[in-house]
Amino acid sequence: MKTHAATLAAILLAAAPPALAQAGKDLYAKTCAVCHATGIAGAPKYGSAADWGPRIAAGLPKVYANALKGTAKGMPAKGGNPALPDADVKAAVDYMLAAVKGAGAPAAAAPAKEAPAKEAPAKEAPAKEAGRPPPPKAEAAARPEAGTAAASAPAAPAAPPVQLALAAPAGAEANSFNRLLKPAEKRNPAPADDGIHDPANDGTHALMAPLSAYAGLPRSLAGNRINWVEALGQKKIDPRWDRTDLKAEPVIMDMNVVREVKGSMPDVVYPHKQHTEWLDCSNCHPAIFVPQKGANSISMASILLGEKCGVCHGKVAFPVSECRLCHSKKKEPAAARAQAPAPAAK
Amino acid sequence: MKPPRRLLGTLLAAALAAGAALPARGEYADVVLNRRAEKEGVRPVVFPHWFHRIRFRCKVCHQELGFRMRVGTNDFRMADIIDGKFCGACHNNDVAWGPERCDLCHSGKPGLPTGIYGGHETNGPGRW
Ligand code: HEC
Ligand code: HEC
Ligand code: HEC
Ligand code: HEC
Ligand code: HEC
Ligand code: HEC
Ligand code: HEC
Repeated sequence: MKTHAATLAAILLAAAPPALAQAGKDLYAKTCAVCHATGIAGAPKYGSAADWGPRIAAGLPKVYANALKGTAKGMPAKGGNPALPDADVKAAVDYMLAAVKGAGAPAAAAPAKEAPAKEAPAKEAPAKEAGRPPPPKAEAAARPEAGTAAASAPAAPAAPPVQLALAAPAGAEANSFNRLLKPAEKRNPAPADDGIHDPANDGTHALMAPLSAYAGLPRSLAGNRINWVEALGQKKIDPRWDRTDLKAEPVIMDMNVVREVKGSMPDVVYPHKQHTEWLDCSNCHPAIFVPQKGANSISMASILLGEKCGVCHGKVAFPVSECRLCHSKKKEPAAARAQAPAPAAK
Repeated sequence: MKPPRRLLGTLLAAALAAGAALPARGEYADVVLNRRAEKEGVRPVVFPHWFHRIRFRCKVCHQELGFRMRVGTNDFRMADIIDGKFCGACHNNDVAWGPERCDLCHSGKPGLPTGIYGGHETNGPGRW
């Protein structure tokens, strides 16, 4: 079968015989779909003419060779399984190429260049894609978004579906408004859909969904998307200061420490007030900060590595993306120095 | 193909498959605790910071109860929890529901490593 298949594959590239086509399809589903179904790591996506066009234009022998030997940009030789016979790998390549028949022709290559379809890979669950072999038609058929166009496309692999594949999905998908920003409906997910809770566990469904708790709390643009300082200030929440003693009150210390920043970024105002609302002095002193102005060397690099302010900011307190909450004091000419320290907000 | 590369490829593929199939997002500051849980046959524990900080200041856990602020450094043991330590300081049927409600704490997806989750704002590279 193996030698047979190799010869066959060499002769009959486009019109692979049923047995080989089946092998290609199976291997695709088993090995290649992991990356190629969603385009993870820059892999050309199954059915995407925009992804495959330029590669096909470089010549089929090159495409096969890259699949067999791998590339420096992430394609593992034979999809990571060197034991595979060459013919099977080629069959899998053919299976993928069949889904984009016609791409790579001059007409197809042009739009492909302008739209290097690199949509966020999370859009489609590859598990789903891999479990059910994707329809070997045009990309349109594999996309729920392509809607009616796909539904009415003829079943036979002919010219029209290919046109669809190029026109509709490339535009609709590749140029969707936000490419990287998490869409609003994916923020603050309920436990059962948040990817870390097991939906098969009964208790998961008894847990509270963040959004139902957040109604009425002041919002922010990062982290939990709640402005916890305001929530506390406006008494929208009343977290206990003591495990059991409801009367215990925090000892608030209102002392700002200004840290001058070299370069153009506004200076950092470190406010004790907002911190002592939540924390005890011993949470920071002396393990994280020596309680003496200027005695600690703090840099953005250390914060990003989870040290200093980064022990909490970026993990539990608002993340580092909110530059202005920390860098809140405009650099002013020396004359304005005598004024009170700037408020540590906005 | 030499074996190391192959292994790497397979691992990469597996990691990508896992990562993409279950985008481990979680709510910002959710903590997964799985030092022993899964090895001992129960699901990993998910601790939600957002839920607790509405009810308690950080100080209660991180000073009064002495939880260290570094994921994985506190040696939470089920026996201690039932004895009223760690989570059991509150989950004792007095301050909050008790340790017999296994599935409320042990609610994590199998295979998740201990760590803090939900930190990434975008699907793409960090905003840096
Ligand atoms: C670990 C992820 C991964 C797996 C598994 C994988 N690929 Fe790829 N593949 C890639 C990446 C990434 C690229 C893009 C590489 C580049 O641009 O050089 C690619 C590119 C290709 C290309 C295009 C080569 C070219 O000329 O540009 C072909 C053909 C291909 N893969 C076939 C396969 C086949 C067949 C399988 C299954 C046997 C497979 N791949 C499995 C990641 C993967
Ligand atoms: C969230 C962490 C945090 C908490 C909680 C905290 N501090 Fe500080 N503290 C700091 C930082 C940061 C500095 C500035 C250090 C520097 O500039 O190098 C500082 C500086 C100080 C200084 C030196 C000020 C100066 O001008 O030299 C004193 C005194 C101090 N803190 C006392 C306290 C006391 C008392 C408490 C509890 C009521 C407390 N801190 C709680 C982070 C904290
Ligand atoms: C021990 C944990 C911890 C450390 C360390 C820490 N913070 Fe905070 N910080 C918090 C918490 C909790 C809040 C409350 C707001 C929140 O959770 O988002 C806060 C709030 C703030 C605010 C108030 C924002 C506002 O809206 O008023 C500023 C500014 C700030 N932190 C700056 C800093 C700086 C600068 C450092 C380092 C010198 C630092 N923090 C270190 C926990 C910490
Ligand atoms: C949690 C508070 C916090 C946030 C949020 C924050 N910074 Fe900083 N940043 C600091 C502190 C503290 C320093 C050190 C100041 C000093 O030298 O004493 C600093 C220093 C810097 C410096 C000087 C170089 C260095 O590494 O020390 C730059 C530039 C800078 N930050 C840029 C940014 C940008 C851009 C953002 C937003 C993406 C940001 N920072 C968000 C606290 C913060
Ligand atoms: C109900 C108890 C509780 C409260 C309240 C609480 N935490 Fe935690 N915190 C935990 C637990 C449990 C862990 C995980 C410890 C471990 O894995 O060993 C943790 C871990 C952390 C970590 C380590 C994160 C890392 O990546 O290493 C930080 C930082 C932290 N908490 C900050 C805070 C801040 C800031 C607050 C207040 C806004 C807070 N916590 C409120 C229980 C609590
Ligand atoms: C300082 C007290 C305290 C500590 C310590 C504490 N909890 Fe809680 N926890 C509570 C309270 C109060 C509730 C709310 C109970 C209720 O709704 O009846 C709660 C609720 C929960 C919930 C359910 C949240 C929901 O959606 O309803 C989980 C899960 C949970 N805790 C896990 C933990 C874990 C895991 C630990 C230890 C790492 C822990 N807790 C430590 C006080 C605490
Ligand atoms: C209040 C939250 C909570 C509840 C309720 C809870 N656990 Fe745990 N459990 C934990 C935490 C936290 C750990 C430590 C997780 C880790 O790091 O592996 C743990 C660990 C374990 C372990 C690992 C071995 C060990 O001794 O630490 C087992 C087994 C376990 N729990 C069983 C149970 C069973 C059975 C129940 C119900 C009767 C239960 N747990 C209820 C929080 C809880």
